[in-house]
Amino acid sequence: MPMLNVSGLSKRFGALRAVNEVSFAVSEGEILGLIGPNGSGKTTTLKAALGLVPFDGELKVLGLDPRTQRDELMQQVCFIADVAVLPRWIRVCEVVDFVAGVHPKFDKAKCERYIAHTKLSPRMKVKEMSKGMIVQLHLAIVMAIDAKLLVLDEPTLGLDILYRKQFYQNLLEDYFDEEKTIIITTHQVEEVEHILSDLMFIRDGKIVLSATMDEVGERFTEVMVPSEKVESAKSLKPIDERQVFGKSVLLFDGVPRAQLAGLGETRNVGIADLFVATMKGTYA
Amino acid sequence: MNTMKWLVKREFWEHKGGFFWAPVCVGAIMTFFLAATLFVGVAMGSKHGIHINGNVVTDLNGFMSAKDKAEFASGLATGYMGMASPMFLVLGFVVFFFCLGSLFDERKDRSVLFWKSLPVSDSATVLSKLAMALAVAPLITVVVATITAVVSMLLICIAAATMGLNICGQVLTSPSAYIAPFQVAAILPVYVLWALPTVGWLMMVSAWARTKPFLWAVGVPVLAGALLSWFNAMFDFNLNMSWFWRNIIGRGLLSVAPGSWFGLTDVANGLHANENGADFGSILAQSWQVLATANLWIGVAVGAAMIYAAIRLRRWKDEG
Repeated sequence: MPMLNVSGLSKRFGALRAVNEVSFAVSEGEILGLIGPNGSGKTTTLKAALGLVPFDGELKVLGLDPRTQRDELMQQVCFIADVAVLPRWIRVCEVVDFVAGVHPKFDKAKCERYIAHTKLSPRMKVKEMSKGMIVQLHLAIVMAIDAKLLVLDEPTLGLDILYRKQFYQNLLEDYFDEEKTIIITTHQVEEVEHILSDLMFIRDGKIVLSATMDEVGERFTEVMVPSEKVESAKSLKPIDERQVFGKSVLLFDGVPRAQLAGLGETRNVGIADLFVATMKGTYA
Repeated sequence: MNTMKWLVKREFWEHKGGFFWAPVCVGAIMTFFLAATLFVGVAMGSKHGIHINGNVVTDLNGFMSAKDKAEFASGLATGYMGMASPMFLVLGFVVFFFCLGSLFDERKDRSVLFWKSLPVSDSATVLSKLAMALAVAPLITVVVATITAVVSMLLICIAAATMGLNICGQVLTSPSAYIAPFQVAAILPVYVLWALPTVGWLMMVSAWARTKPFLWAVGVPVLAGALLSWFNAMFDFNLNMSWFWRNIIGRGLLSVAPGSWFGLTDVANGLHANENGADFGSILAQSWQVLATANLWIGVAVGAAMIYAAIRLRRWKDEG
């Protein structure tokens, strides 16, 4: 059974189509990166899946409809929908006790173990913490919940690089296994690309790319072409071109690597470069 | 049920200041002032005597007739809970502002995104806030009020004793002294039902308003009432405006004040105190009579509908 099955999902805000007839599926064990510019509809898509907004079309999470079966769904699904949304008045011990009280799949001892690895103390209030510490606490809670699906919407926005690295490292080392599924949206593409198994680009409410990371590696090739070969390289229709130290770096989609090798040095494209190439003209 | 327990606990953690420390502080201040007044009174009395009907007396024992003494004792025994009544006024304010913020604050600080990530339904959340406002908070106030009133009563007994008027025995053996706290607590069900339209209205606005819930909750009905009154006066609509103010605006905004049913309904006999001061037996009986009015039950229906609306709003309102 797919974790998430979306077909013909649409969401309008007045005249604006935030999400426009989107279809995709996510299966167990994937770490999917949902990447898109601001206002592209990725947060709305996730909110629809979490039963936070009404929508049109078909959407099933673990076979449940988030519009009508949200309460059951939340037993299986966990999410961090924004940075530092823990209530400011609560203490570490209170929030842990509370979640232990209401969540049947929460492992309190595990959570306390994660917290012990941080500078958080049980009597500390959220309003006394830095943004990074709040995220540490939130992550400790979320990782102690044995949910099948974890949705992270910009979980590290505004954190410094130490907290960001640690966040993804903890997630990968202490939380993820083949029975779990994670969906992440973020603008810090470079930091998640090595942990993703699947990638999806979304633009203006439509999916413009959906592939596994292996497929991305096979399909896209970046070639550093010396100036004398640029003309012949351009005949192969690169999807992007930029200049680095007087050389042209061309990005090809679907051209066999053997064919490109003759033009210059080939390498796998970074997600960030691929993203920029794909989204060209978004804000124009 | 376990979830409900934790939800109510959560509300208590968040609002400990209003629900616990506010009545405790008010009780402590009242007790302090009573003690200080009695102390000064006793000290002055023993030094200079008290002027009663033109006579200076330093010992009340011989001055008061046995009948007066008995009346004073029974008045104290039946009415001492009345000394804690300011605390119930405080409760009204606390409940009002709690409801107004109950579903707004979590959206304002975006913590609703955390609460909604847990397997807790919107109805359970909203109902836990309702339970906090109408059951837990009044119960805490009744307990603290009882302690305050008992301490105050004992202080008065001690002060009277130092003046030579020994009423301790009479007060403490009076059954009504022991019944009074329960009589006050027994008004609680009436309060729960009576306050429902105001609590429902405030929670609904709290779940709906994007900004400034106070302005929406209070400003809009008052402005509507004022406009209607003005039109009524200008164009002779012949509307019964006092009915409107009492039953729509009054019931919608003031019903959280304990005892407001005496001002907003015409309970048979109305509120009256007997010659011994406030008798909680009769207040209790008259309060329960409110249950026989259509006013109360219409309010319950409207309040329940607004609570339902608040649940729906919390479920579907997108915080962007």
